[in-house]
Amino acid sequence: MERITSWVKTHHAGSSQARPIEPDTAVRIISNADKPTVIIGSRIMDLDGAPLDRIIRLSRALDMPIVATAHSGKFLKERGFTNYVEMAVVEITNVATDNKWGGIEGYGRPDLVMVLGSHLDLMNATFQSLKNFSNIPTMSLSRFFMVNATYSFPNLNDDIWIQCLDEVCDKIEKSHL
Amino acid sequence: MVNNQKVKIDQMKSPSLKMGNVEIVLGKIEDDWDEPMGPTPMPTLSELREWDMKLLNRYDPFYSPICDMCCNCAYGKCDLTNGKKGACGIDQKNQQARTIALESVIGAACHGAHARHVLGVQIQRLGNDFKIDMGLDIACEAPITRTVTGIKPRTLGDFKEALDYAEGEIQNVLASIHTGQEGNYKDFESKALHIGMVDNLVKEVGDIVQIVGYDFPVGQADAPLAEIGAGTVDGKKPVILMIGHNVAAGAEVVTYAEAYNKMDDVEIAGICCTAHDLTRLNPKSKIIGPMSEQIRFIRSGIADIIILDEQCIRTDILEEAEKVGSLVLTTNDKATAGLPDMTRIPADEIVNKLVNRDIRGAMILKEEKVGEVAIKAAEAIAPLREGRKAIPNGKNVIIEAKKCTACEECRRHCPPDLHISEAMTKGKIADFEGLSELREHCIGCGRCEQACPKDIPIISMMEKASEKMIKEQKFMIRSGRGPILDTEIRHVGRPIVFGEIPGVVAFAGCNNYANGAKEVAEIAEEFLKRRYIVVTSGCAAMSLAMYHDEDGKSLYEKYPGDFDQSSLANCGSCVSNSHILGAAIKIPHIFARRDLRANFEEIADYIHNRVGAVGVVWGTYSQKALSIGTGLNRWGIPTIMGPTGVKYRRLYLGRNDKPKTWELFNAKNGDKLIGDAMPAHLAYVAESKEEAIIAIARLVMRPNDTTKGRQIKLTHYTDLYKRYYGRMPPDIHTYIRVEGDIPITEKDEIKKILKKVQWKEKTIPDPTLLERMIRQRVS
Repeated sequence: MERITSWVKTHHAGSSQARPIEPDTAVRIISNADKPTVIIGSRIMDLDGAPLDRIIRLSRALDMPIVATAHSGKFLKERGFTNYVEMAVVEITNVATDNKWGGIEGYGRPDLVMVLGSHLDLMNATFQSLKNFSNIPTMSLSRFFMVNATYSFPNLNDDIWIQCLDEVCDKIEKSHL
Repeated sequence: MVNNQKVKIDQMKSPSLKMGNVEIVLGKIEDDWDEPMGPTPMPTLSELREWDMKLLNRYDPFYSPICDMCCNCAYGKCDLTNGKKGACGIDQKNQQARTIALESVIGAACHGAHARHVLGVQIQRLGNDFKIDMGLDIACEAPITRTVTGIKPRTLGDFKEALDYAEGEIQNVLASIHTGQEGNYKDFESKALHIGMVDNLVKEVGDIVQIVGYDFPVGQADAPLAEIGAGTVDGKKPVILMIGHNVAAGAEVVTYAEAYNKMDDVEIAGICCTAHDLTRLNPKSKIIGPMSEQIRFIRSGIADIIILDEQCIRTDILEEAEKVGSLVLTTNDKATAGLPDMTRIPADEIVNKLVNRDIRGAMILKEEKVGEVAIKAAEAIAPLREGRKAIPNGKNVIIEAKKCTACEECRRHCPPDLHISEAMTKGKIADFEGLSELREHCIGCGRCEQACPKDIPIISMMEKASEKMIKEQKFMIRSGRGPILDTEIRHVGRPIVFGEIPGVVAFAGCNNYANGAKEVAEIAEEFLKRRYIVVTSGCAAMSLAMYHDEDGKSLYEKYPGDFDQSSLANCGSCVSNSHILGAAIKIPHIFARRDLRANFEEIADYIHNRVGAVGVVWGTYSQKALSIGTGLNRWGIPTIMGPTGVKYRRLYLGRNDKPKTWELFNAKNGDKLIGDAMPAHLAYVAESKEEAIIAIARLVMRPNDTTKGRQIKLTHYTDLYKRYYGRMPPDIHTYIRVEGDIPITEKDEIKKILKKVQWKEKTIPDPTLLERMIRQRVS
């Protein structure tokens, strides 16, 4: 079996590495979380916004707020979606490392942070920061294996990635709606 | 050495002497400076620690390690994840802060060594007593030196003491990084801030010495325009390329060319900050561009001689030069590239050895000799240059593209994540558009080529694909003006402090951009159009020049070079960005009549609370950029970095959900109150251009803004937020203290929001973080 390496080869940081997951495992972890949340960034409109549409579905099914970083909130608004908070990716990561943080207004402190659609180094920084300074597990839903997350999709091509996101959405919708 | 130390003797008795209430000043006597010595002349590490802690309690450092290990000693490696400590007891936060301190020391040491070198060169040329004369419009010649050291430099020799101080501090902080020293992350950050301030100081010394020594423009808003871009170099002439940051050797090339009337016969061009300084010396010199141009330009084979000085030069230049037959001269003992020392060999003999290819280059540490050798050798070998390049022809580009298996190794090593294999697929069918588009975003690092298992020369292929565009790459840049005039500060100081000029936006840093250099120009123009003051230096100043509008004009041709609204002031090279901070320091001095002399805390407190300035480092790369930014942070000036800035590992982020951290004093009556959460952050990373624009508009707000000023700043903030984020800022109510702050155009909408959040009016304080600045206590 081929060893999974970080998509960005130089993101390997030390002795620990993310657990690669398939959609079924992702669904189980997300379903077990009380307060999952998802952070999206400036690259959420890749593939004509296909990932954004999946995240909106996930958010609706889980009644989960989306943390829209950079200018990604604009795209949610354009789709008529309102359950989002706007923060910088470094701001949300910073507060999430604080065990005394009260959490997202009206929602609370997340117990699972998922990330996709951000600049790769910023996604890695979020995973690295939470890995080192918080007890919140993290999950990369991007198409890249993010080695410093707790869980991550392996490296996928665009089509398979969207299929995986669809599978996660379908199963979450089925169990939550 | 003891200098300007006050000793107070309350009472002294001896058999022969009895005295009391005597104050003695030890050291050099400053007789014509009417400011009394302030509290912190040449502060040591601990003397400004209290100030640092005020900042660090407000902006608790945020860390994103890029390495989980500490590899610094033979106990290790030590894994510091999950709260584990290393063998020496260090934890992850402390290790990150330690790394930041180390990187800041490296940055400050580079600028300091540069300053020491040019000071030595100029003292040798002009003498110790050569006067520092910055002209009639600059009385405050060295605001950083004055504030940090308490020295008012009158001659070149006066700067020696400032550098002695800086070198001592650099050594002390470096020592603190040794295994088994500092054990607290905030104390390490305080050391990084300290060394950032030292970095500011040595840059100012370095640039003032260059200005007076080489007769550079001094605060000249209409400094001459110079040409920038690879297309500006006439390859038919002998071409001398200089790379680096220290113009000492390059200046002698220009001097030699001027002395022998050769400026029109040879091309003298530069990459990185030496290029800036060459145009300050003689605007006929050309700037090829920022450091990303190194491999590209060398492979074009146009350069006959490549002269290296110091900092940000690629360490494989010699190898690249050999591919095309260019000769290399190293001129600084910090970067000698393994070349033979020819310093003591007669110039003509060196030229002969170079021309006959007996040697592939030479180390020459005598600047005058570099000038003569470079020109003579370039003239001799230029006629033989024909066909000497490492760029493939179109047929070979197709052959190389066909080798690509789309394994994506290149992309996985590419810092800006470029989709190289897609461009290769097009290249296979002679469609070079993809490769040409890649070049727009490529930072020229060459990691793709190192990663490629098929050894495809990706950078060279991009060059071939962009051949036409490169030939047309001709822009204009205003050469570095140096400092901001006192008279300009008199004009804009008041409206900046009151907020009526919405902000000063300073673009500096390297060209490691996440989405190409064009974004820097776009961000700058957004604020130029909105009547902010825009200043710049270094590689960022070059990026601002390298885009034409529809009329074919660069920003420098569209906007004047003053320090004023809707103006774009290019201060010059990296060391010249000290003048941007210098302008911020001059505001309290000239407008508010605050003494500068050894008065760091008071001046920093003033700037932090009243001067709406923000630094933008959209491309981050070097340790110097980190020390520059950290230095600005110590003066209370926020910095915004592009996405790659997160790889510096540390930010200073404020928390508006922690009101206690925003406590300040109202200097009018001594009240302690919760101030506005501003500047919201001190060191911040923005992911996209849009986010950076919003962050700039947000981070220029200050507690001291008048209602008119706050209204103006909020007008821009809300307008930009609506444009880029598509709605009213959700935090708008947090910026409004009284109704007068509300932007007129948004009054109805904002009033509804205020009603909904049950907003209450707040006191507008005379803000200070320093208890001693309280003018009157009212119980």
